[in-house]
Amino acid sequence: MRAIKLTVLMLAAVVLASGLGFGEKITFWHYWDGANLQALQSLIKQYEEAHPGITIEAVFVPGAELLTKLQTAIISGKTPTIAIADLIAMPTLVRSGALIPLDEYIEQTDIDMNDFFEGPLAYGSYEGRFYSLPVSASNLGLFWNKNLFKAAGLDPERPPRTWEELVEFGRIIKEKTGKWGYELYTAGGEGTTWQWQVFLWSAGGEFLSEDLSAPAFNSEAGVRALQFWVDLIHTYQISPLAPWGLFGRGEAAMVMDGSWMTQFFPMQVNFELGAAPFPYPADGEPATNMGGEQIFIFKGDPDLQQVAWDFITWFTGTEIQVQWDRLTGFMPIRRSVAQDPAYIAWVKNARPLLLPFVESMQYARPRPPVPEYPRISDIVANYIQEALYGRMTPADALDKAAAEVAQLLR
Amino acid sequence: MKAKHFKKLLIHGLLLSGAFIAAMPFLWMITTSLKPPGKVYDAPLFVPLYFYWSNYVKAWSFAPFPRFFLNSAIMAIGITLSQTLLSALAGYALARLKFPGRNTLFFLILGTMMIPFPITLIPSFLIVNSLGWIDTYQGLIVPRAVSAFAIFLFRQFFLSLPRELEEAALIDGANRFTIFFRIILPLSSPVIATSAIFSFLFAWNDFLWPLVVTNSTRMRTIQVGLAMFQGQYGIFWTLLMAASTIVIAPAIIAFLVAQRRFVEGITTTGLRG
Amino acid sequence: MVLGVNLRWKALHERGACRPPLRRGLQEFPVAFWFLLPAILVLGTFNFYPAFYSLWLSFFEWDGFSPQRTFIGVENYTSLLKTGEFWNSVRVTLIYAGGVTVAALLIGLGVAVLLNRQITGRSFYRTLYFLPVITPTVAAGVVWKYLFDPTQGVVNRLLALIGVSGPAWLNDPSWALLSIVIVGTWKRVGFNMVVYLAALQGVPRMYYEAAALDGANAWDVFRRITVPLLTPTTLFLIITSLIEAFQVFDLVYVMTGGGPLRSTDVVGYYLYRHAFRYHQLGYASAIAYFMFLLIFVITLLQFQLGRGGGAVES
Repeated sequence: MRAIKLTVLMLAAVVLASGLGFGEKITFWHYWDGANLQALQSLIKQYEEAHPGITIEAVFVPGAELLTKLQTAIISGKTPTIAIADLIAMPTLVRSGALIPLDEYIEQTDIDMNDFFEGPLAYGSYEGRFYSLPVSASNLGLFWNKNLFKAAGLDPERPPRTWEELVEFGRIIKEKTGKWGYELYTAGGEGTTWQWQVFLWSAGGEFLSEDLSAPAFNSEAGVRALQFWVDLIHTYQISPLAPWGLFGRGEAAMVMDGSWMTQFFPMQVNFELGAAPFPYPADGEPATNMGGEQIFIFKGDPDLQQVAWDFITWFTGTEIQVQWDRLTGFMPIRRSVAQDPAYIAWVKNARPLLLPFVESMQYARPRPPVPEYPRISDIVANYIQEALYGRMTPADALDKAAAEVAQLLR
Repeated sequence: MKAKHFKKLLIHGLLLSGAFIAAMPFLWMITTSLKPPGKVYDAPLFVPLYFYWSNYVKAWSFAPFPRFFLNSAIMAIGITLSQTLLSALAGYALARLKFPGRNTLFFLILGTMMIPFPITLIPSFLIVNSLGWIDTYQGLIVPRAVSAFAIFLFRQFFLSLPRELEEAALIDGANRFTIFFRIILPLSSPVIATSAIFSFLFAWNDFLWPLVVTNSTRMRTIQVGLAMFQGQYGIFWTLLMAASTIVIAPAIIAFLVAQRRFVEGITTTGLRG
Repeated sequence: MVLGVNLRWKALHERGACRPPLRRGLQEFPVAFWFLLPAILVLGTFNFYPAFYSLWLSFFEWDGFSPQRTFIGVENYTSLLKTGEFWNSVRVTLIYAGGVTVAALLIGLGVAVLLNRQITGRSFYRTLYFLPVITPTVAAGVVWKYLFDPTQGVVNRLLALIGVSGPAWLNDPSWALLSIVIVGTWKRVGFNMVVYLAALQGVPRMYYEAAALDGANAWDVFRRITVPLLTPTTLFLIITSLIEAFQVFDLVYVMTGGGPLRSTDVVGYYLYRHAFRYHQLGYASAIAYFMFLLIFVITLLQFQLGRGGGAVES
């Protein structure tokens, strides 16, 4: 009896599968490692079980080299069916002409685009069409060392909420414990720029003009944000010009870092850890920066594209995204995930450190989606350093950076 | 007698402090690889006091390492053998045979070492692609089968070999191949060992090229495995160092095997001390 | 044409007995052809061709992704030569390359000579000195950052012991490059040592025996016999060291990211940014070819010096 049932089931599966195009295989390049990789593998298994006959071959490519791999794939015409990439890489990939626009599929499947947070969506659109969908997100927040707070006589459960408090707490810590109050990322490159953007935005500034054609960071708010950094180092002396990593070693009490560190810090540090939304000026507004990945389809076999699209809608849908975010600790890309009771209950119980990041997601802003961004970021970081090392005033440094960026965007 | 002892002590003191500086990062790697979670940044940094072996087990299961090891071994051995033999042949011709354009050719070969890899990556990839060698062992090995560096090394070595050895054989009517294989190569074991160890290390540590010419996990090499611990979002320090220790073990063994050759014949040279 | 090093050998071997020159010339061409064929096939396909291809690319504007490239003539070169950032990189690279080459050569030679004799624990030392060559750069970067830490670091603590207040090393624009040179030297010494050890094996013992009979002391032997006989090897090490140092990238990438204030922004890193981050392949190729020219000229000069240098003393 059981055997017959099984046979019938298998037959049904085969018939179903052949209807869907049996034996179709799509390749999927990504750079997710560790827990993220395990999560991806389990979701793919789940998808394959629900869609017999379809195989998703996920291939890991190291993150720093993924774009190079995609580049060689594109110029030799041997692209995978789908891939993910860092937000920042999207403008370059979209302009390569190797991706297919997704608008028809989106219409056909009737996806509610308004459910996605606007920030991540900005990276997928170019000249009025969508070329990618967000698949994961992350943002920046404040971490603090509760042991050092205690040692300094501060309430270990009360993080600073404003810049003013950040300075106040930092000075107390420096005075009482001799450790640094706040660790700044001064080493340059995108690490410096994207942390500084948070200060810029929360002081009311903008990075580029609205049409992305000119720099906007050399504003009053920009000068204020950069002056604040300079003051942290030279006036309040609670931040050092030192290699990154003091917070992890217990040498600094506070730091700005990403939501993903709620996974890494507990593995590395030997003190009690707190996380909070990042402080902003008393007269400013909350803000944070956003990272994450986008998923897209390469030009090629239309049948495979259809299969790929089906997988993407499944993967970016609310139900799977809740699972994905729980397994990986990524931030929600959809409002329906951020408001999902099961998801919120999980964060509160299993990953309380993550809660402030989920709450900050509504303030998360995208970096400008222009192909010149990596270059712009390096220019800005370099002039930030000039100010931090006291070689230029913040206003001078930002004006000089703006002049170079303007030339680049012209 | 006393002065001699003092001199010995001085030499050992000098050598030891140098050796410690040389070994520090290595000791840190081993120490970190054996630390439990939460202790990564804690002292001691250079002496393993924790023995958290499960890091090794975890690291090993992090990626398909057995397959990666196999691929790296095939690639590294293939490259080492071909680089040593083919570069020795070319180095010999450039050092000892007379033919028009010899120096031009030599400088052309030297010149290839001066072109940084990032800008030849794409054209090299396109060639391998047009040969249909993506995802194959020949794609991993053949493009690296000859090394300008090794040719240069062999050429310099052969230049310093006394000519009498060959000239006597030439007069006896031996041909160049016989001389090369019967007289020159047997005399060259220090330089062969040197070239081989560098070829092996180069191939074993190579990362970007094997990554670019392979598309499937099945063909990837161990350095790609190591990259999995240095993720986009953070570094798994204890696991990365455990995996690094496993991965460089063959390199150290290769060095230990080869190093006997660097000093071959020392007992008969009779260098005064 | 015979190179200088060869001449010196000739001088050595032909002292006393003058040999009739062998019949040479075109007739060795067929033999040379077979010796060189595999090398030329492989290098030609996978080195010469890509090199010329990228030379060609240096006259284009291309992001490496899109199908269209724009021919812009020598514009990449002219804009390169007008860029202060590039000249800064050239300066930084020259200092780095010079510093590492000289320091690692001297230390490597010293260690090799010490380890080439009957000394207890010889192979133990050799292995330890070689470790930096195989230690992963990421581990080296972490440890050296620790060592150079302005307050906690071992280096400044040791300096404090002798009453010196150490600089901020990697975080001080005027000391960062020296820090990188130290780490670069640390990594290169083992390599030089191994090559020197191999070369020392090629020194025929008759020279040492003759010197011993003459009553020469160890320093005389080293200066008058060992060093001149190692000239081909030294030439090799200087040239490969310079070539490697001109392309150094990972050390800087891991330790300073080119900063602070571009004080460690070597050309290798400058090129990396343009090739892999900014996607300006034409411009990156122009950087590479400019540097190629520079290092090629330096190499030719080295060979000239190697030829003109003093012969072995008799």
